[in-house]
Amino acid sequence: MNYNPGRSATAKSVSMTSEPVIVVEQLSKTYQVTEREGGFAAAVRGFFRRQYRDVHAVQQVSFRIAPGEVVGFLGPNGAGKTTTLKMLSGLLHPTSGSAQVLGFTPWQLRPSYLRSMTLVMGQRNRLAWDIPAADSFLLNQAIYRLPDDEYQRTLAELDELLELGPIMRKPVRNLSLGERMKCELAAGLLHRPRVLFLDEPTIGLDITAQARIRAFLQEYNRRTGATILLTSHYMADVTALCERVIIIHHGQLKYDGSLGDLSRRIAPFKLIGVALGEAVDVALDAYGAPVQGEDDSGKRFIQVPAGDVTAVTARLLADLPVHDITITEPPIEDVIERAFNA
Amino acid sequence: MLRIFQRLWQVNWAEQWQYRANLVMYLLYWLVSPVVYLAVWTAIADAQGSVNGLTANDFVTYYMTLLIVDQLTSEITIHIFGYKIQDGTLSGELIRPVHPILTNTLVNNVAFKALTLLALIPVWLALGLLFRPDFGSVTLVNVLLAAPAVALGFAVSFLLGAALTCVAFWSTRVWSLYELYAGLVVLFSGQFVPLTLMPAPVQAAAQFLPFQLFKYIPIQIILGRLTPAEIITSYLSGVVWLAAAALLFRAVWSAGVKRFSAVGA
Repeated sequence: MNYNPGRSATAKSVSMTSEPVIVVEQLSKTYQVTEREGGFAAAVRGFFRRQYRDVHAVQQVSFRIAPGEVVGFLGPNGAGKTTTLKMLSGLLHPTSGSAQVLGFTPWQLRPSYLRSMTLVMGQRNRLAWDIPAADSFLLNQAIYRLPDDEYQRTLAELDELLELGPIMRKPVRNLSLGERMKCELAAGLLHRPRVLFLDEPTIGLDITAQARIRAFLQEYNRRTGATILLTSHYMADVTALCERVIIIHHGQLKYDGSLGDLSRRIAPFKLIGVALGEAVDVALDAYGAPVQGEDDSGKRFIQVPAGDVTAVTARLLADLPVHDITITEPPIEDVIERAFNA
Repeated sequence: MLRIFQRLWQVNWAEQWQYRANLVMYLLYWLVSPVVYLAVWTAIADAQGSVNGLTANDFVTYYMTLLIVDQLTSEITIHIFGYKIQDGTLSGELIRPVHPILTNTLVNNVAFKALTLLALIPVWLALGLLFRPDFGSVTLVNVLLAAPAVALGFAVSFLLGAALTCVAFWSTRVWSLYELYAGLVVLFSGQFVPLTLMPAPVQAAAQFLPFQLFKYIPIQIILGRLTPAEIITSYLSGVVWLAAAALLFRAVWSAGVKRFSAVGA
């Protein structure tokens, strides 16, 4: 498949040179939120004088992304990932700082900018709910002024990669979460954007669907040379797709570098969950660092360095009346918390 | 651009059909008051011979024309766009390279109109059989003269409705404000009764408001009740109101989007 990223070659367009596609300098966003305490008196007071609090969602974040890079944008909930993506796609004005994407200032919402980027966010965005996705695709063809042959070619390519087939002919509301995400992605990519902002593209999907979306993004990037900045909760998304990661925590940039360096920096650990027989009350401290709380099935969890997992599991099974045992990756929040709050 | 509207039409028309049961309900609700006014005023005029010079037939033709004109010039922007501002689904439309209200919302309004008009036809014919109106005063020239007035009325009503909907960028109380606005429209547009039956102060105020462009003026042109001079003045005031409504909408929209992008939604 041949692809020409410089379809609408304007003076502003950045072609496949090494000049960065995204330049972010000291970008900050502060929200003002109203707050009041509970109770009647507070409600009355709040009516006359509102209390405001500043929330610094993003604080002086700077980075540059070169053409064709796939960068993972990581951070716990509320870290400022989505706010940053919204600023870069033009939906939010920053409080201070600057950003240039493909030579444009995003929040000016220039049509030529909007035609060369995409933001895929959540599950209900670009598709009309009550009609088949195929109809929304046709609408996008008109909105993005895509010639028939180019549109057909792109759609065929997306169909091949995402296996859209029959799902794009069903009303969107009848699609499963994974099917809908595929259609959202297709709708967001029909105009062959040169920059992709993807906010949690795999959230809520089962493992198979997650893997398929990942494979698709990888292939899309390889074929088109598009630049991709994606946020995710899943470390697996990042390890599969990104050589470079940017980590943001409490609105501040904590890490910007290769995934390999990050892995070395974060001593890898796993979570072992054990369910013990009834009335067994043994402290697990001897086996690993206990994690507070237990899950629905009564499992208790310990953190163990990745290298020791086999040995610790063997000891647990030998020493204790274990009913059930699981070994899982720790949530990305915990990993980041450990690495950057220590 | 034409292609965008054509595709938008296909999408919106298909979507409207999904809600056809809803539409019929809406139409019934919306039909109740003009039909009641029609029955009441016709009965009074019949009993008295006339009311302020208006005969029973004048009332029947007025309200039956109103049914169609109202359908053509009314707008439903707040119902299809207000929630998008409040729940943030506007984001998806803002990052498209076309204006969300002047394309999608506009076509959505038109598709809704087209479908309700389809449903209105049999009701209208039934009322005709029931009340046997004499539309003798309606000529082709009148209808052709009124057509641009209907378009103008819709344009002004659409832009004002859109500007009002944009208040949702600042306040969640936009619905109450819209109710107030809808009340003013009913009062000053001739929807309630022909404006000549309104108290003098209301009639005087109506001259300085845009609302009679929505209903009263096109109806009177169709029914041949305006002199050429009155028609010209009406068109002139229509054009002025159109310009004012367009400027107002543009100002509120750009300030609203700026606010949306400042606070996030």
